[in-house]
Amino acid sequence: MYGGESVKRYRKPIQYIILAFVVLIGGYAIGQSFFKKSTVLKAGEAAPEFTLADLSGQTHRLDDYKGKPLVLNFWGTFCPPCRDEMPDLQRIYEKWQGQGLQVVGINLSEDRISVRSFAKSYGVNFPILLDKNRKIERLYGLKEYPTTFFIRPDGTIQEIAVGGPMSESFIEQRVERLFQP
Amino acid sequence: MFQNTKCECGHQNPTGTVLCEACGNPLVDDLPPDSPLEMRYDGAARRSQKQNPDLIDRVWNFFSSVKVAVWLIVITLIGAALGTIYPQESSFVNLDDPAQYYKDTYGTWGMIYHFLGLSRTYESWWFIGLLVMIGTSLVICSLDRVLPLYKALSKQQVRKHLNFLRRQQTVYETTLQTEPAEWVEKFARELKRKRYRVWIDRKDGMALLAEKNRFSRWGPYINHIGLIVFLLAVLARAVPAWHMDKYVSLDEGQIKQIPDTPYYVKNEKFTVEFYSDDELPERLKGTLRPKLYETKATLYTCTADCDDPVKDPVLVPVKQHNIQVNSPLSYKGLKLYQYNYEERIRLISVKPMLVDKTNNRSYGPFELPMTDPPLTYKAGPYTLKLSDVYPDFGLDEQNRPMTKSRDPNNPAFVFVVTGPGLAAGGEMYIYFPMPSAENKKLQDQLNESFRKLGSNSGRFAFEVNGMENVSFSQYTSTLNVRVDRAMPYIWVGAAISMIGLVMGFYWQHRRIWLRIDGRALTLGAHTNKNTYGIRAEVAAALGRTGIAVEPKALDNRRNKR
Repeated sequence: MYGGESVKRYRKPIQYIILAFVVLIGGYAIGQSFFKKSTVLKAGEAAPEFTLADLSGQTHRLDDYKGKPLVLNFWGTFCPPCRDEMPDLQRIYEKWQGQGLQVVGINLSEDRISVRSFAKSYGVNFPILLDKNRKIERLYGLKEYPTTFFIRPDGTIQEIAVGGPMSESFIEQRVERLFQP
Repeated sequence: MFQNTKCECGHQNPTGTVLCEACGNPLVDDLPPDSPLEMRYDGAARRSQKQNPDLIDRVWNFFSSVKVAVWLIVITLIGAALGTIYPQESSFVNLDDPAQYYKDTYGTWGMIYHFLGLSRTYESWWFIGLLVMIGTSLVICSLDRVLPLYKALSKQQVRKHLNFLRRQQTVYETTLQTEPAEWVEKFARELKRKRYRVWIDRKDGMALLAEKNRFSRWGPYINHIGLIVFLLAVLARAVPAWHMDKYVSLDEGQIKQIPDTPYYVKNEKFTVEFYSDDELPERLKGTLRPKLYETKATLYTCTADCDDPVKDPVLVPVKQHNIQVNSPLSYKGLKLYQYNYEERIRLISVKPMLVDKTNNRSYGPFELPMTDPPLTYKAGPYTLKLSDVYPDFGLDEQNRPMTKSRDPNNPAFVFVVTGPGLAAGGEMYIYFPMPSAENKKLQDQLNESFRKLGSNSGRFAFEVNGMENVSFSQYTSTLNVRVDRAMPYIWVGAAISMIGLVMGFYWQHRRIWLRIDGRALTLGAHTNKNTYGIRAEVAAALGRTGIAVEPKALDNRRNKR
């Protein structure tokens, strides 16, 4: 009668179950608040994967460049510093291509025609990929144009150069660092 | 603390019991002997009260404390209030550098505010932690109290200890002038008329318990269940698929993907109506006040090639709605609200004619869309090949043509015209579809410089005949895209909580006990609120059995004073 020992036996398991729920739900909720994904990439993080088409309609994936040091340049024909640093990037590409350097330009969601004519008139022959609807630009959390990611062979970001134009020596210093083990 | 929990009636009570579970005799001596009894949870021990608590018990007991719960709520309220001092980061459509923004806008305090993380108060670990703790406290407090209370109320003994009866808030003692058994029967009938449930002691019929509206005691706990559902729903918003709040700006005729969803939205047409002057009050006359703004929108879903970088996504329309303020487009939990609009003229497409100035003949028209224009066009015997596009035409420092931005503010197209009577390489012309004197001049200048370079002979020009050949967007409409799958649960939680509150507020649990020893009648009555009500009821029932008594005289506290 009046509760007593028979009820008490079930008390412990109920306590454990409720506290386990609290730890589970509370842990998830608090964890979420800690690991809220920031849209800004930092050096040391892995460069986000993408699949984009180049000017001839060939698809390129970031993964294709794994194992090679990569200079990933976001640019647009509307941005004067992007235009200004393009010849320097091209020169670096020509100079270091033999050692295995990859240079890839990602255009900031412009019209294929304008990108093609720009690349032609500047004599750019490294792959120019076409972003669509600013998707990859958003994925990489771009705030300023141009932005250049120097990516190690293992796919992690070594350095992010925001703004420009970058001088040839500035690019070269960073490329050299990419080649250091 | 050692406490003897065995009552003088012989019943063994659990640790922490205040009033004997059987006869109601007070077991705790530290109350002043003549004050009304503490009737919380009917004097039953809280579930977690025990003598040798281990670690789990201590955690449990921490959350079981109402004092702790009150502090948690107070701290949460203070935290929530701090979050309202400056706008939260989440309230901005796009904020690239919050640290700089808070510093520039609100000075040093803004900097401190951002540094402390208060600009993201409601997403912070400590705020969510507090909500989780309040939720835990709600569950444990309720469980620890509702179970003993339920048990106590479902196993009530009819005959109570004299101490228990005499120390209720409503008490009456007298010597019966009539036959006791008969009087009890009569009194029971009166109470039943007042919708009391009545039990009479089976042994000798000399004790009685009458009770009504016991369900109102469950009100607070039902309220708590509602609050828990509410809190869980709030926490569920942290699950990405459950919550989204984004903005999409669309020119008329423009279609855009809603970020991170397979949906695309098209602005078919935007309309705004303004109040006429006679509809406006004096001080607003002459100003443009929108009466109605509406985006005719179509929602598409992508069915194939959604992430294919080469092919265009295959879109299927799923919903059409004229979005107005408070009338969103709603599809499978996705809601598109009218958020803003801006007057900004943008060409969608033009249908120009190719004019041969040597003989004044025109060819065409051909359709030229401003976004994603095709590569070649036919105008009479001539073929036009697009060689360059500048959505926002400008000149760089070296006076070379460039685009100033990606937005089609002032588009320019460079065509290579080939056909009969032209050189094999064709002739190059630039064309500005946006009609303005400046553009006209620029176009002539550039074509003239092309001529000087030998790129063209100056033979052709472009002309648009009439506005029916121009389609343009006058307004850019901004839509707010929201997903809030937690909302139905929030409403359910709020409704349960309201039911609990109504149960607890509008009904009172009333109980009347009495016992007759010889001819001495002792009556005690208890209610959790509205003591006036129960005194009036008891006095009326006594009156009908021939015992005239003023309701006021039943007040135990008053008698003592």
